[in-house]
Amino acid sequence: MVRFLLSRLLRAAVTIVLVVTFAFVVLRLSGDPAQIIMGADAPPEAVDAFRTAWGLDQPVWVQYFHYFGAIASGDLGRSMRDGREAIVLVAERIPATLALTVPALLIKLLLGIPAGIYAALHRNSAVDRALMVAAVAGFTVPSFVLGLLLVLVFAVQLGWLPSGGQESWRHAILPVATLGIGGAAVLARFTRSAMLEVLGQPYIRTASAKGLTWRAVVWSHALPNAAIPTVTIVGFMVGSLIAGAVVVESVFSWPGVGRLMVVAVANRDLAVVQCILLLVAATMVVANLTVDVLYGVLDPRLRTGIRRAGAG
Amino acid sequence: MPLPRRSLLAFPGLLAAPALAQADQRPTLTIAVQKLSNSNTFEPPREQSNVGFRVHGLYAEQLIGTDWLEGARLVPGLAESWRRVDARTLDLTLRAGVRFHDGREMTAEDVVFSFGERLFGTQGATGEGRSGILAGSAGKEPPPEVIAVARRTYPGLERIEVLDSRRIRFVNRTPDVTLEGRIAQSVGAILSRAAFAAAESWLAWARAPVGTGPYRIAEFRPDTLLVLEAHDAYWGGRPPARRLRFVEVPEVSGRINGLFAGEFDFACDIPPDQIAVVERNPRFEVLGSPINNIRKFAFDKTHPVLADPRVRRAMSHSVDREAIVQALWAGRTRIPRGMQMESYGEMYLSDWENPRFDPAEARRLLREAGYRGDPIPYRLLNNYYTNQVANAQIAVEMWRAVGLNVQIEMRENFAQVTARTPGRALRDWSNTSIFGDPVAGILRSFGPRTEAERNGEWTNEEFDRVSAALEAETDMARRRAQFRRILAILEREDPAYIVLHHAAAFTAKRRDIRWRASSGWAMVFGPGNLGTGA
Repeated sequence: MVRFLLSRLLRAAVTIVLVVTFAFVVLRLSGDPAQIIMGADAPPEAVDAFRTAWGLDQPVWVQYFHYFGAIASGDLGRSMRDGREAIVLVAERIPATLALTVPALLIKLLLGIPAGIYAALHRNSAVDRALMVAAVAGFTVPSFVLGLLLVLVFAVQLGWLPSGGQESWRHAILPVATLGIGGAAVLARFTRSAMLEVLGQPYIRTASAKGLTWRAVVWSHALPNAAIPTVTIVGFMVGSLIAGAVVVESVFSWPGVGRLMVVAVANRDLAVVQCILLLVAATMVVANLTVDVLYGVLDPRLRTGIRRAGAG
Repeated sequence: MPLPRRSLLAFPGLLAAPALAQADQRPTLTIAVQKLSNSNTFEPPREQSNVGFRVHGLYAEQLIGTDWLEGARLVPGLAESWRRVDARTLDLTLRAGVRFHDGREMTAEDVVFSFGERLFGTQGATGEGRSGILAGSAGKEPPPEVIAVARRTYPGLERIEVLDSRRIRFVNRTPDVTLEGRIAQSVGAILSRAAFAAAESWLAWARAPVGTGPYRIAEFRPDTLLVLEAHDAYWGGRPPARRLRFVEVPEVSGRINGLFAGEFDFACDIPPDQIAVVERNPRFEVLGSPINNIRKFAFDKTHPVLADPRVRRAMSHSVDREAIVQALWAGRTRIPRGMQMESYGEMYLSDWENPRFDPAEARRLLREAGYRGDPIPYRLLNNYYTNQVANAQIAVEMWRAVGLNVQIEMRENFAQVTARTPGRALRDWSNTSIFGDPVAGILRSFGPRTEAERNGEWTNEEFDRVSAALEAETDMARRRAQFRRILAILEREDPAYIVLHHAAAFTAKRRDIRWRASSGWAMVFGPGNLGTGA
């Protein structure tokens, strides 16, 4: 198990280095942060002064090694836009993002999984068709369209909810709904497919043939086996908790990590972008590790495999 | 939550009512903007952008003000009067009884500080250093870009003398008839020396500079919210709003929806194609007008095709500005007479004409130049400027109609557009006149030390010579002649750009709020520009 975890962590570390390097190269070669941050009409002397102050007049490879050296010593750098530490800027925004993504994740789980299971168990029924029509609509409509639609109905027409901002819990309802509906639709489709596949397996027929009640067959045999692919997609959703609301945060003017990232990328504010990427990569790595461990819990064959690998 | 309508309706005659009656009943207004601050600071030299210009005047003022509601003319500000001593020297008399937001009275020392440590740090205006550094300013050296902006704004400033407690003297190294205009720029805001000394750091200071304007900065949450509160000791009268809440809503649909939903009283940065959408709702209207910024196409004359000025002239004759203004701006902006503003006063050349729309002349010039359809790359940003892409597509068709092969190449940012790489030929640009003189307009874009010359897009020896002479000239007749020559070079003989039209800023608002939009980026909410009723 230890070797398994170590190999996963090593892979994660390599992934993070590659992600950060890729981001550095793309951001630094696609525009001069000094010109972008200082603006189109800034005096050339001011742009030069800014460039020198932030070391942007150095060769790119020198900047890269400086940056990596700083990361190695725990310094994630400062925002070129306002001079504050990048980690502080990002940390300030995390609660706002989690305030959307965590409730949205709960909605996805509580709506999507039961809907998928129900639809699978009542395949081709009217309810199944209705649920799947809703699910297809839910995940094919882009989140910015869905968000604007919800704003038009609930903020502009009915006046029940605010259209954007982050001043009270009421402001979170529409963005959470936007995120939750789309994700629930994905989970419903996924869960239904997984359940249908499992329900068609010989061991389900065997379980039924040996006299188990249908409820017992579903709970003891179908659900645990169908959970494996569902856990994969849930793991991805958990990994997206930090950066999974970029579009929705923009549509609803919600000051979270997603909006910070959009602004930082547009400004080529490298330290902030890198800090967010590190955070996102770390979240993804933890989520993937958790999923791998859960695979072992859900599937005894994998547990055995890990033990064998550990022994070998 | 804002309660603007109720409080406004309950408030008859915001401006005329006795001060006592206004207590606690002034409205809180919520204003949705696309961006609050590019730099996350509000120190004017660090935030020299349209979003900065929008709010600067609400919390900070200059010795000489600009009346943005009346043709951008210079008016007394924190100096109640000024007098030219000679072409290098200007005496100003400070207004008495002006109080900063921290309650302190403005003094001559604040003026010296504002044009000293605050802008130039320990280097001083001349770059030779200062002997006495303000106590408490250690570690608060302004960032180098602030000093660079200050030097660019006051290139000839030699010293400021305190003549007595209310009289200040500005002394320039060189003659400069535009010194008044330079002093009126937001960079020259007078801010509290004591507040600077008390601030923890330069950044802390720059996030909430303490000025004398009608509102003080009460709260700032980056990329989210800026709250300004009424400064009731304001020398110009009691501010008509109790609080101004600027909320950042990046999406235009979000700003309009929030306006319709009653969450916002104002929605800024409305594109022209949304004006009709807003005004279909009888409760709202869109105000706006041409502002002190002119859109242009800029040439790189080193591009092989554009090296021949006849091709550039042909491009200029091919653009039907009037059609563009009607099609994309619904006629709500206007075409300037060359790269100049009416606010230039004596320097305004009222008889100057743009190269006329004349496709036949364009074709003739192209034939004469031997142009054979070689491609002219046009590096384009995705609507950095309002209507930018649509404008580009229309122009490309106009050029195609006379035989010009202009090819759009999309770019992501200005650095990519101006990158000195093969294929740089044509781009979009704009020019803001930060005060009423050509020195504050076109000479900020072209000439020695400007971006266009440094990145090699356009240079012209005669232009450099005449523009340098204009900057130092004090005789108005000679200055006008020099400016005319400059425009002739830039727009006719060796075209550097094609003038398009004035930019225009549009603000949607509740129709029951009486308010006037300014002729610049600035939003004015001072005494005299806010009320209720039809």
